[in-house]
Formats: sequence, C-alpha cells, structure tokens
Amino acid sequence: MSGGEKEADVTGRVASLPPGTHLAVVLEDGRRWEGWLIPRDPYSAADSLRLKLPSGYNIGLSLHETQSIEELGGPLWGEEARTVRREETTEESNGGAVSGGVAILTTGGTIASYVDYVTGGVKPVRGRRALEALFPEVDGPIVLKEVFDILSEDIGPGHWHRLGTEVKTLFDQGAKGVVIAHGTDTMAYTAGALAFQLRDLPGPVVMVGAQRSIDRPSSDGVFNMRCAVQVAREADLGEVVVLMHGNPSDRTATFHRGTRVRKMHSTRRDAFRTLNQEPLGTVDTTITLNPDHRPRSPGKVRLEEGFDRRGRLLWIHPGLTPEAATAFTAGARGIVLAGTGMGHLASELVPWVQRTTESGVIVAMTTQCLGGTVDPYVYSRGRELLSAGVVYLGDMLPETAYVKLLWALHQSQSAGLVTKILTTDLAGEMGERRPLIGGMPE
Amino acid sequence: MKAGLEVHQQLATGKLFCKCPSDLTETVQGEFVRLLHATGGETGEMDRAAKVQSAKKISYRYQVTPNSCLVEADEEPPIRLNPEALSVALTMAELMGAHAPREAIVMRKIVVDGSNTAGFQRTVVVAMDGSLTVGGKVHHIATICLEEDAARKIGENEGEIVYRLDRLGIPLIEIATAPDIENGKEAREVAEAIGMLLRSTRKVKRGIGTIREDLNVSIPGGARVEIKGVQELAMIEDYLDNEVRRQKLLLERAEQIRARGPDPPPSPVNLAPVLSKSPSKIIAQGLRPGGALLGLKLPGFAGLLGSKEKDGERLGREFADYARAAGVQGILHSDELPGYGLTEEHVREIYSALSADVARDGFVIVASASRDRATAALTAVRERALLAAKGLPEETRDPLPDGRTRYSRPLPGRNRMYPETDLPSCPIDMKTMEEVRSKLPERPEATVARLRALGLSSEVTQHLVRAGDVAAFDLLVLHGLAAGLVARVLTQELPSLEREAQRPLFDGPESLPDILLPILRNLEQGAFAKEGLLPVLRGVLVEGLDIAAAIQKAGLTGLTLEDLERIVTEVLDQNSTLVSQKKMGALGPLMGDVMAKVRGKRDGKEVSQTLERLLRQRVASSP
Repeated sequence: MSGGEKEADVTGRVASLPPGTHLAVVLEDGRRWEGWLIPRDPYSAADSLRLKLPSGYNIGLSLHETQSIEELGGPLWGEEARTVRREETTEESNGGAVSGGVAILTTGGTIASYVDYVTGGVKPVRGRRALEALFPEVDGPIVLKEVFDILSEDIGPGHWHRLGTEVKTLFDQGAKGVVIAHGTDTMAYTAGALAFQLRDLPGPVVMVGAQRSIDRPSSDGVFNMRCAVQVAREADLGEVVVLMHGNPSDRTATFHRGTRVRKMHSTRRDAFRTLNQEPLGTVDTTITLNPDHRPRSPGKVRLEEGFDRRGRLLWIHPGLTPEAATAFTAGARGIVLAGTGMGHLASELVPWVQRTTESGVIVAMTTQCLGGTVDPYVYSRGRELLSAGVVYLGDMLPETAYVKLLWALHQSQSAGLVTKILTTDLAGEMGERRPLIGGMPE
Repeated sequence: MKAGLEVHQQLATGKLFCKCPSDLTETVQGEFVRLLHATGGETGEMDRAAKVQSAKKISYRYQVTPNSCLVEADEEPPIRLNPEALSVALTMAELMGAHAPREAIVMRKIVVDGSNTAGFQRTVVVAMDGSLTVGGKVHHIATICLEEDAARKIGENEGEIVYRLDRLGIPLIEIATAPDIENGKEAREVAEAIGMLLRSTRKVKRGIGTIREDLNVSIPGGARVEIKGVQELAMIEDYLDNEVRRQKLLLERAEQIRARGPDPPPSPVNLAPVLSKSPSKIIAQGLRPGGALLGLKLPGFAGLLGSKEKDGERLGREFADYARAAGVQGILHSDELPGYGLTEEHVREIYSALSADVARDGFVIVASASRDRATAALTAVRERALLAAKGLPEETRDPLPDGRTRYSRPLPGRNRMYPETDLPSCPIDMKTMEEVRSKLPERPEATVARLRALGLSSEVTQHLVRAGDVAAFDLLVLHGLAAGLVARVLTQELPSLEREAQRPLFDGPESLPDILLPILRNLEQGAFAKEGLLPVLRGVLVEGLDIAAAIQKAGLTGLTLEDLERIVTEVLDQNSTLVSQKKMGALGPLMGDVMAKVRGKRDGKEVSQTLERLLRQRVASSP
C-alpha cells in the first residue's frame, strides 16, 4: 500500500469511529499510543488524531505519521455520563409548584450550559438533577423550564416576545418571582424588552448569567443563581432586573434596573453596571433595596407584548456619509441615533436627518457617551437637529431606546403616538435627575 | 519499593498564559474573595479529591500584585502558551530523547484547594517516552509537561485561606519518571541529574522553592502515595524510607485487624456527660456552647493505634491526620490514654459510655468548638478506620521538616482532567523542532569537562554545574575576569551571602555581570583586597550600598602600591636595629607589623613580596 493510500485508509477509519472509542495508534517510528478517540475541534490541524491518554491528558497525533490503528474494544469513554444526561427531561420541578415558588427559565448561555467534552459541544442544563448538581446552594421549591437553548447573541425580538408571555403565565399561576438564566452578551437588551412588555409586575423578574462557565469550579454562576433565586423569592420588587457580581469577590451580587443596565466589560464578573443612577440593590446574605425601586404590584401582571423589527440603532462616527446612513436605515419606521456628546452628528448628515423625518420616519437621539444626557439647546448643531425633527431621549441608553422603539412601533402605527411613547418614562428608563455620586461606573 | 519522581522547576520566563512577569513581590495592591465548587469533570463524575476539598466550605482570599492581571484573577481567558516556555520544555524533551506529539493540548486539572483562582491548574503534555541514564541505569521518563505554578499561600484564618497571586501562572516544567526507582538514594540521584539538565538550559529560576519534587511511592500490597512538594533534595531519602516504614506498619496492622474480624465502627457518642468535670484543656474546647465532645468506638482496635517506639509510625497518627484535614486540631486515641489530663477513671468511663471492651476495642475522642467540625472529623476517622482493615488508601501527603509526611487529601484520579476550552491546541511542527534542535545547550557532562580544562577543581566545577551558575560563570569570564576568581565568588561568597540573607540575591544570570563586574574590577584594581571581598559584596548585594560606600563601611579604603611601599619603609626605619641584627631573618617579625597597618587593604601575598623586596634592598645597602 502506498503512503497516500495508507493515510487515506487510516483517515477513513478514524472518521468512521464513534468518539470515545478505545484505540491503539501505532506511528511510523514504531511508537504505540493507547487512549480514547476524542473529536477534533475547529482549531485542530487538518491531519490531527486526538487521543485521551489513560493519565487523563489529551494529545494530538498526526494521521500522516500514523502507521495503523487498532480498536481495543474497551468501553466508550464518557459514555455513562452522557447516558445519564440524555435521560433528563426538559421540564421538571423539585417538588415545588409554580404557585408560591420561584420559576427558573433557561434560555441557554454560559450559566445554563455545560461543555460536553466528548463531542466538544456546549449543551444546556437539563432537568432537576443537573440543576441541583450545578447549583447546590439553590434551595426551596423551584420550577425549572427550558424555553430556548441558544446563545444570547442569537436572541432577538421574537424571543423577547416569547419570554414575555412565559413570564406572564408563570405570574398568573402564582409564581413568587421568576429567574431567567440568560447569556450575558445581550442580557441587557432582553431585560429592557421585558421591562417594556411586562407592566404592574407582582414580583421580580431576575435575569441572571455567568461570565465563567458553570463547569468551572470558579464559576460566578453558582453565587449569582443563589442570589437571583433569593431576590425572586424574597424581594419586595416589581421590576425586571439584571443580577450579577458587584465586584470580583463571591460576596456581593448587585442587581440593576433592566432599562438602565449595560454590559461594560467583555470578561469580568462585575461587567454589568447601572448608568446614570444607583443600582437597584445588592445581595450578600440579605437583600438591600434602593428606595427608588418599584414594589410588587398587588394586581395581575399586564402584558403589552410584541415588537416591530423596523427600527434601527445607528452609531454616529466621523466619516459616516449620508449614503451609508441611508443604506443602513432602508425600510425603517424609526431610527435611534447614538450621537456624539450631548447628541450631535456631522453637518453633512443634517440634510439626511431632515429628509428622513420628513418622510415620516422617527429619528431619536441618545448619547454614545452612555453616561449623561443629550441636550439640544447647548450647541447650535443640537438646535439645528431639533428643528430637523429629531426627538431627544434624555439619558436613555442607546440600546434601551432601540428596544423601546421596536416595542413602541408595535404598539402603534402613528408616528406621533410612537414619539409620545418614546419620550415618556415607562419603566424607569429615563430620568431628569442624575446624581453626582453614583451613576458613573468606575 | 517502587517510586517515581515528578520534578517541578520554575522557568525564568514570563508567565505561561499571560504577559505578566514572573517575579515574586511583597507589594499587595488589593484583594478579593472567592468560593470554589466541585464540578463534574469531563465524564460528569466528580473527582474524589475535589469533592473532599469542596465539602469544606472554605473561602479563599487573593492578594492582587503588580505582576498579576485579569488572567490570574480568573476574570479573562488565558492567552496562548508562552512560546519561550514551550521551547524550554521541548529542549528538555530533546535532551532526554522524548517525543513531542503533533499537537499539545492544554488541559484543566481540577484543584479546588484555592491555590488556583480558576479551580483548576492548566497543564499540557509536551513530550513523552524519554530516558535519562543515571549511575549506569536507564530511567524511563514518562512525561514532560508544562503547567502553571499555583498561587502562593500566605496564611490561614478561620474558614479562610489567603493566597498571593504573584506566583500563580509562573511556568513550571514537570518531568515525571516511570515508577522504576528502587531506593531513596537512587531517587535523590535521579532528581539531581534532572535538576542539572534543567539548569543546563539556562532558562530556569534558581533559589529555594523554584524546584520542587513530588515522590510517588508504593510497596507490594501497599497503595500509591504521592508526597507533594519536597523542596530539599537531601530529604528525599528520608521521606521515601519513612514512607516505606509507614506502609509496612499499616499493612501489618491491616492483617491484625482482619484477624480480629471486627464490626464497623458504630455512630459517635456524646461524651460531654462523662467528661464534663475533666481538667483537660483539650476536652474543655468541646464543652463550650456550640462545641461538641464526641467519642467513636473502634471495634477490634485495642493496642493497634499506638506504638512502643517514641517516634515510630502509628495508626493513631493516621487517624489524627484525617481528623485534622476535616477541620479539627486533633484527636485523642485509646492507646495514648490515660494522659492529656484524663485519668484511668475517665478512660474506664469512656469505655463504658461507648459500650467498648477494653481488651478488644479502641476509641478516639474529638473535642471541637464547632459541632459540625467535630462530626466531620469523626466521619473522616470512621471512613479511615474502615480502610485500615484493607491496608492503606491512596493519598497525597505533605512533607514535614522532620522527614516524615502528613496526610493532606485523597489522591486525585483522572476524572479531574478536562480540556481547556478557551485555548486552541498548540501545534508542534517540524520547524519548531528544528529550531529547538539547532539551539540545544551544552550537556552537563560537557560543561564539567570544559570547566575542568580551565583549571577549576572537580569540586568547584560540580558546584557550579549543580547550582546552575555556569551561565553566570561564562558571562563573567567573557567579560575578562579570571576564571578562578569568578568561580570563587559564585561557589563561596554568593552562596554564603544568600544563606545569610535567606533569599536569592540575583534573578537570572543576565543580571549578574551588572552587579559583580564593577565590584570585581575594583578588586582587580586594588581598591580593596581579596580579604575584603565578602564584606564588600555583602554591602552591595545585601545592604544595597554603592561600591564606594561598601568599601568604606568595610573599613577597606584601599592602598596604592606607593602607599604600601611608604608604610613598609616606615616600618623598616622604625626597626633599623632589628634589621641590622637579623638581616633577612627580620622578615617574619616585620610582616606582623606591616599587616597590622594594611590588613584587608592590599593582598597579603603582595604585602609579603613588597616587604621582602624592600628588606633585601635595605640589607644589601647596609654595611
């Protein structure tokens, strides 16, 4: 057999073997390695054959240098554990009923996923056993439901809508509070979307995530989940909040109003910060609430559901041409601009703004500074934009304004009414007072 | 006996998975506190060692240092394997004929004692299957790994361990031999040989704590025990000999226990009512509110817990170690009582309260200010007692300064290993290997031959090679200093000062010429004499003085040759009678007078030569 044929043969055989097969690999130089076949990852070299050695280490061998492989007939590696996980169902409770208990909705993301090391894929946490194994500190009656199994970057308006109806159902069934495990990347958008849809909340909706995956001993998810369940059960709070670490220690979790929160760091545990006001509260062993919070509402939750995707969020930047802005906003019913400073853009864009508003499209202004408010009266450009029909949204965060725009567009076909909704504070998303102390993240 | 060695050596490169420098520091910029949770490994099964650690509910306080970043704080993913560290590991692989895989895959090894902020240590196999010949015997080198060093333990408070992040992430090269070592002496020699080979790469750190040995040891019928973190090579033999003794004793005890065929230990019994009036301080702890004083009957253990020899191994000590690991200060067992404030009467009452038979059964007592910890301690003792009939458990043990070891935790299994999903694998291609092969260092044997050819003694040569000071030696000699002088400084003065200061006085060999050259040049130019070398080095290296101040402080302000000649002439003038009577015979007596005036300021031999020359002139010119 020629070298090429031999290699193709070995490659073909390896490809046909299930992951976890117990193998002996003999290389051309006569060395023999025993171990279990591990799937390659996207970074593997093209001719890589991966083995888990009896010591537990993984190594990559070269298929090119492989003389032969031999199946040893031992049990598949890791098979037992995977069988257990497959048996789990998607909806289960630990003996608690929805009524009077806390419901946990999972959507995927770091906090509700573990790595399947045999296939290399990320899998959602399924079932009570997995929940108990991963979050041993969560106690009391819990109902667990898997709503989606996706990473947060794939979550959009359709998912926001579905989550809104799920939360309403749970509160209608008597849930004390709802915890939503969510990927952190877009968690703040989802929080805002829920805050606008769910009004008169009879209990907290606590969005919680993790910056370190749950299969690590150091995962922040364990502490975050424990605190989230505590807030959902105990806090006299009728708002949608995001709860994550308040600092690098596993000592204090901070929860933030869903319309005021932003992920401000790509990796740190304390990535989430409230802007332009103080966070709503903290949890260590007890819960401390900011006096500014809205308490649980006595009646039933109101759901004003749905989003119209014909909204855009445009980050103003030097060099942005009217042509590019036009192309990006084609088909839009409304545009949120993240302007520079107090809400500005280049003079060459002013006619584009004018044309856009005249065509009946709403143009709203926020600041890309994130901290602070927009103000059209300080500089002449602001006054120009105001007369070009731009709606100024105060200290509302650009992402919150965007989510609110999609929601408002669904509520009404009238540009005037949508503008009215945008400029009215509905879920604490804008304020007229900004404290000197607090509100500016360190 | 069968033993294997794991040698861990810190590399003198930056950290393994971030861009931080790898120096230890006393500067603490802040701190944070974390908890760790045992998680199912790759197979979903929880590792036994991880489970035991996690059950302790301890929090970990980390001190942030200038040489730690978001990676050490577990707040950012690692960056790719430090290529310089990889190259050192591959160099070692080549030197030992080990084979590198096509791809190195970084693994996470679960370690939940808090020493790694992530709860795992990153480790990667770089090569396998090499060999090293020591004393004519070929030793198989099983693996060469690169791994992160752990955070430095600073202290312990109630329920909390304090670590500093400066050491976390420093690259360690781990060289593991196969378990084919047959005695302690052989183990020490293999460790020495590996150490020398490591130092030949000139990329390793030097000083206490930069090289650590783990010893894996078992005897037939015994169990694999890992003695972790031995820092002194000289102690290896003691640890292994003592471990063999311990395993033999435990096997003997197992046989005795099996012969008696006892029942398993029953549940613990509250002994507070029996011992409430005991004057023992140990017992008093358990009588406080919230505390507990518990006894555990050990059926069939009478006489098997203690030892007749004063320092002998004993089963009671094993049980005490397990109790301590569970969080109490210690236990009392039946073979050491009466004693510790407990009378014969007390002991009788304990036997009776436990429904135990004095002739057949043993017991242990634990007193703790915490009921939970007392219960946990007896649970640990009970589990250990059940194993005692089978032989001995696989364990990780800590080395103690007296040559013995102490139980630290169960030996971790392979369930604790899973891939570092944040990093792509690291290809080791032909180009990398060719680069490594083109830069292989001089092997220790060749270095020895070269240094001997320079005229250095066998002893001095061995010292330089073993201490890893050859790089410094070569650099200094390259700068034009005499080989003998350089060797003397490196093998005598510097080690002596490092012992005094109890710390390394320089980082890597590169920093040495900057420090030593000016001092040795001053010496060569006569600013002070050889006798003054140690005090001057002490002034500069230990006390941080500049050279002039160090010379001043040592009272060694130098003399020029002219000064010396003037002093000698004065002495000859003052002793003209002696000179005219004794002629050259005055040399001896006068040398004392001259040395009294110039000691330490000029070389003694030179003083003697000058005196002899001027005396000869004086004698020749006198009638």
